[in-house]
Amino acid sequence: MLILVTGGSASGKSAHAERLLCEHAASSRLYLATMQPFGAAAQKRIARHRALRQGKGFETVERPLDLAGLELPRRYDSILLEDLGNLLANELFAPAGAKDAAFGSILAGIERLQDCCETLVIVTNEIFSDGLPYPAETIRYIELLGRLNAALCARADAAYESVCGILLPVKEGKTR
Amino acid sequence: MTVLLVGGAYQGKAALAKRLYPDLPLVQNLHARVRDELAAGHDPMALLGASRGHVITCDEVGCGVVPLDRADEAYREAVGRLCCALAEEADAVVRVMAGVPQWIKGEKPCM
Repeated sequence: MLILVTGGSASGKSAHAERLLCEHAASSRLYLATMQPFGAAAQKRIARHRALRQGKGFETVERPLDLAGLELPRRYDSILLEDLGNLLANELFAPAGAKDAAFGSILAGIERLQDCCETLVIVTNEIFSDGLPYPAETIRYIELLGRLNAALCARADAAYESVCGILLPVKEGKTR
Repeated sequence: MTVLLVGGAYQGKAALAKRLYPDLPLVQNLHARVRDELAAGHDPMALLGASRGHVITCDEVGCGVVPLDRADEAYREAVGRLCCALAEEADAVVRVMAGVPQWIKGEKPCM
């Protein structure tokens, strides 16, 4: 099963993604973190997410890049991938990233994750509505994230948007 | 009663707030108050208490690219967290798009 949770910054999407995952998967849970822990803001965010997950029985693996090449120690009931925006930024802009192959590489990696678990929950980001002009490389990032969201939503069993901590259905299928 | 109206800028939130909840005092543009509180070095979460018993409008400011500027990023984060806390307490949360209200929490009032 594939579930997508999107939302703006600080909209409560992580908490909902964890709850949805815990509802669907009884036991073994893997948290796959894509954020690279650079800078104070990233550290603060990581600490906040750690506190959210505490006591929920998650194993944590940090993987900023190349999901397709990931060797997991075992099979899991569920995997929480957080988040797609960071993964794409790393693939596009990090020295070891897939660069021009980022789109295909990420989709292949997600397919691989789906093979490793029963339920995959992906947190992604709504970054499309500030109407500001950006350099070409940022525009490309925005476009690719939009296309990834669309491609994944098409495959997903369910997709939701978190707004002020309220979960709104974008696509609801057989998960309820 | 506490009601939160959220949505993009210039979607008609304040006009709807006045029309739908005429008996509640209106707090407009909560996002701007968050910016003021941060600029003054205060914790914007303090606005939560002051919002109770009001109908509040707030721009949904978190749906863009993460700003490079640390203060801009902190502002977006603070608006989002305050709105989550406010929505949890509120009797109704209304998302407004193109002047059209959608109740995402609570019931439409009897008019």
